[in-house]
Amino acid sequence: MKISRKWLQQLVDLSGVKDDDIASRLTMLGLEVESYENFAAKYEGFVVGAVLEVAKHPNADKLKLCQVDVGGETKSIVCGAPNVAAGQKVPVGLVGATVPHNQHDPEGKPFQLTMAKIRGVESEGMICSANELGLGDDRSGIMVFDDAAVQGTPLSDYLGLNDTVFEISLTPNRADCLSHLGVARELASAFSKKFIPRRVKITEDGPSITESAKVEVTAQDLCPRYSARLIRGVKVAPSPKWLKDALESVGIRSINNVVDATNFVMMELGQPLHAFDLKRITGHKLIVRRPKEDETKFTTLDGKERIISPDMVMICDKEKIVAIGGVMGGINSEISDNTTEVLVESANFTASSVRRTSKALGLSTEASYRFERGVDPNLTIRALDRVGEIIAETSGGKLAPGIIDIAAMKFLPKRVELHVDHVNRLLGTRLATGEIIRVLESIEIPCDKKSETVLFCSVPTFRGDIERDVDLIEEVGRVYGYEQIADSFQTRLNFDTRFRESTVLDELRDLLAGAGFHEIITNSLQPADIAGFHDPASVTLANPISEDMAAMRTTLLPGALQTISVNLAHGQKDVKLFEIGRVYRVMDDQQVVGRFRESARISMAISGTADPMSFDRKESKFDIFDLKTDIERLLAFLKLDSWDFISYDTTKEYEQSLKLFVNGMELGLAGRVGKAALQRMSVDQDVYFAELDLTSLLALRKSTNRYRSLPKFPFASIDLSFIVSDQTPAANLMDTLRAAAGDMFRDISVFDIYSGEGIPDGKKSIAFSMALGSEERTLNDGDIAGFIEKAEKELNQKFSAELRKQKS
Amino acid sequence: MEMLEEIQKLKDEATSALANLKSSEDAENFRLQYLSRKGAIAQLFEKLKDVPKENKPAVGKSLNELRSFVESEFESSKNNLGGKAVTSDGNIDLSIPGRKRYAGRKHPLTQTANEIKRIFTNIGFGIADGPEIEDDYHNFEALNFPPDHPARDMQDTFFVKSEEGKYVLRTHTSGVQIRVMENNKPPVRVIMPGRVYRNEAISARSYCLFHQVEGLYVDKNVSLAELKGTIAYFAKEFFNEEAKLRFRPSYFPFTEPSAEVDVNCFVCGGKGCKICKYSGWLEIMGCGMVDPNVFKAVKYDENEVSGYAFGMGIERLALLRYGIDDIRLFFENDLRFLNQF
Ligand SMILES: [Zn+2]
Repeated sequence: MKISRKWLQQLVDLSGVKDDDIASRLTMLGLEVESYENFAAKYEGFVVGAVLEVAKHPNADKLKLCQVDVGGETKSIVCGAPNVAAGQKVPVGLVGATVPHNQHDPEGKPFQLTMAKIRGVESEGMICSANELGLGDDRSGIMVFDDAAVQGTPLSDYLGLNDTVFEISLTPNRADCLSHLGVARELASAFSKKFIPRRVKITEDGPSITESAKVEVTAQDLCPRYSARLIRGVKVAPSPKWLKDALESVGIRSINNVVDATNFVMMELGQPLHAFDLKRITGHKLIVRRPKEDETKFTTLDGKERIISPDMVMICDKEKIVAIGGVMGGINSEISDNTTEVLVESANFTASSVRRTSKALGLSTEASYRFERGVDPNLTIRALDRVGEIIAETSGGKLAPGIIDIAAMKFLPKRVELHVDHVNRLLGTRLATGEIIRVLESIEIPCDKKSETVLFCSVPTFRGDIERDVDLIEEVGRVYGYEQIADSFQTRLNFDTRFRESTVLDELRDLLAGAGFHEIITNSLQPADIAGFHDPASVTLANPISEDMAAMRTTLLPGALQTISVNLAHGQKDVKLFEIGRVYRVMDDQQVVGRFRESARISMAISGTADPMSFDRKESKFDIFDLKTDIERLLAFLKLDSWDFISYDTTKEYEQSLKLFVNGMELGLAGRVGKAALQRMSVDQDVYFAELDLTSLLALRKSTNRYRSLPKFPFASIDLSFIVSDQTPAANLMDTLRAAAGDMFRDISVFDIYSGEGIPDGKKSIAFSMALGSEERTLNDGDIAGFIEKAEKELNQKFSAELRKQKS
Repeated sequence: MEMLEEIQKLKDEATSALANLKSSEDAENFRLQYLSRKGAIAQLFEKLKDVPKENKPAVGKSLNELRSFVESEFESSKNNLGGKAVTSDGNIDLSIPGRKRYAGRKHPLTQTANEIKRIFTNIGFGIADGPEIEDDYHNFEALNFPPDHPARDMQDTFFVKSEEGKYVLRTHTSGVQIRVMENNKPPVRVIMPGRVYRNEAISARSYCLFHQVEGLYVDKNVSLAELKGTIAYFAKEFFNEEAKLRFRPSYFPFTEPSAEVDVNCFVCGGKGCKICKYSGWLEIMGCGMVDPNVFKAVKYDENEVSGYAFGMGIERLALLRYGIDDIRLFFENDLRFLNQF
């Protein structure tokens, strides 16, 4: 919201207070000043000039040499504008002034005027365009003012911009500060300044308002107060300069003297007003009511047809709707050039009702913005008097005697009890009773002492946000100053086992980072088709930013591929990535929040060269076994005893695909990502990707295993190689060997696989290295021979395997 | 035929010597011993002249075979040593850098979150967690955001498509406060890190999601002064000993009084610069005293306990700490970015 210093100064004495202090005090009172601009300073050195004479520049065809009267002094100025002519009143920047916008600089940086020779002729200033002054887009020529402008007048005075404008970001609770009056109150308190006493000057004339207009409120629950004033004999015309300037300084476009007066009062006092053309109100009677069943459409001032619903509040005449209460008036009763009788509405509408209406219509106005935050119900009359004064003054109209005022009740100050020790306990202060009273009374909250430590505070109706003692405590803290409250740091260390976090996730991160993986964090919003492809029970959004982010992710795969794509784009082809993150789905048997289940996943993606650039070794690309290495590293870290990888049919998403089973539960997928998925993300190299159900894996994790004494007897290691069908999975052979070894089993690995010369077609030779041992003794040749015989027999029975050779 | 026997003997010796080559130094010794101009093979060739004529072709052939066998075996053994490191004159070039290997890192947001957790767990805070898909009650209503209240406009909200009930992607981690208090009797002292969502256009300054750390301390006689002291401790630990703070009144429905916390701009030292929008201050978090309506919602006795709550954005703190100018970098995962942390 924009607040003008000039305007504030009409309300409160700010003499001797610097702009900078206003900005910082408001900020520290909770009215955050985002920026402010001092126009008088900005246009220092700029004046209105009268062009006396225009001659050709002696050395340049396109330039002219002008003699300009800048107020008792004539300056010789070189000007290149095509429109410059003798007799014009123009803005002139004198030497030393800073031109706000350099139209020859691509960034438009300001520059300072110096005494300069332009093509050999001295120029004592510059005649400026609107663009150069930052007053508009026009850069085709210089700005030309009214003939009435007086040479020598400072430009900021002439433009009505001898002002500082503050841009304030208000929190939703401070509806009282949505006006100059509200901000002035804060400043009066901050700087201990007095309000400027001012009486509204009103002369009433002619028949009473009640002779000409009537109001009836039937929806009083939505409109607790409706007040109105009538001005007769109005001549609608452009507003006078002071009114235009005031509105423009706070960013409101001038329309005409009547509409501008209502907007002016809203910006000054905070009361939204609406002006009706009384002659267009059928029966000269307004009725405040809910729409009837057949009333479903209404055309607002902006020319748009709006769909209305039965819970909204309408201002109507005998035949039709004329305004949507608290939001916007209608075209059918708006002020026009022919209007002569103006009925001004100054009403109070219920905050929640206006908010619902504004949301439903998708229409937010200055009025609805204020009503939904809460407007002082006691402001209606004051606002009517002020607007009456301005309309009478600017339009020649006469105020009809009297005011129509229909109120549901008397709106009295709230009485709130405040205990001094509660203030001090919550703030951590030792404020005396008198100090608290002083602070509250500085913001117009009078306090009566019920006892030495209990106060009765009367909260004025403009502070609708204050209802409870704790709200008053905030006011005390805010106005006394948070800065004045001494820090205390006496936290007692009573550690609480209820909120202990396991460190395992971070240990996993350390493990994977140590294994060369970069951790990535990716968007958990995905296109709905991708989310749905991986899990039909995906969660979708009702109001997504875009189609690309319309669902919650069901897999971490797209994030990983996207990351690989980003890195490929700048030549980074070799990557190892991991992510720990949630996936989301709708689940019927879940009762956590709604039916939504969020489970943690861990993903690993590897792509590119397994052994990145080395000066002496051959590069090899990552393959599925590199991926399995890291999955197994992770499973071993979690101290899981056993797991199985089962290969399954290639889906659209994976080639070489594996499912991970632990304790009979499917807990993950791994494989080479299929071409379709790669192409979608513009990845043109193989990616191996695994995604594991981290929630379940962590649940299965074994904490510290019990210590087992170290083996007392050495292991025997033997190598066995078999010839089997090349379709036989190694894992099956290993399981059989493990079973055959029974208690003696210690370890097994595959060390060679061979097919080709010397091996029959359709067969492969596969060699295992095994470690066998015993808790009781060193194994002897007989033990080993017995195992080999058993292994050979079982492998032969199950897989027609043929023992090729052995070495022990 | 002692000559043929000698050739065979030398071949066996050379073979076993090659098997024992361990360094480029060994390789050079081998070359000198067997293959140089005065080496063992050359010496046998010398003896060829003494061989009877009729045997010369057979012995010569064997000798040539021996030489080419040893030469080729030597070459391959030498390569297995990491040949390129051995220059032709046999020296190792120790200036060659080590072999490149993958070096992983934790994400800067993880590192920042860990640092925040470390600071607060050191002073007795526990850690709690909650769902990202929240019901309206926990995200808004229990936090004193009444329906149809303009405070709801403070956060642009994503709504979930759902037939039953109103669900949102949580706009803050404050809902976890409610869950913690619903399930635990006071006192409670926890921080609650997590992912939150805002329905805002994606730009250098905002992303559709970010991460927050919420803090909550409820006990007897917890005061605003204590909140200030705790946050001051945090800022000194997280930024540096010189970090100066400013508590500025603000508004959040679930705290009363409420404040925004600014830290003095470490880019310009408070004089004003582009980063701090010429104010000299950088906003780092929102905080305040738990509103009595929140205590009512979780059935805590507002006359018995008081508490403070705070919430900070992890991205925001990481941006400030590292001087990063675009929040999207955190979610692009460009390795050139990740490797800097
Ligand atoms: Zn700065």
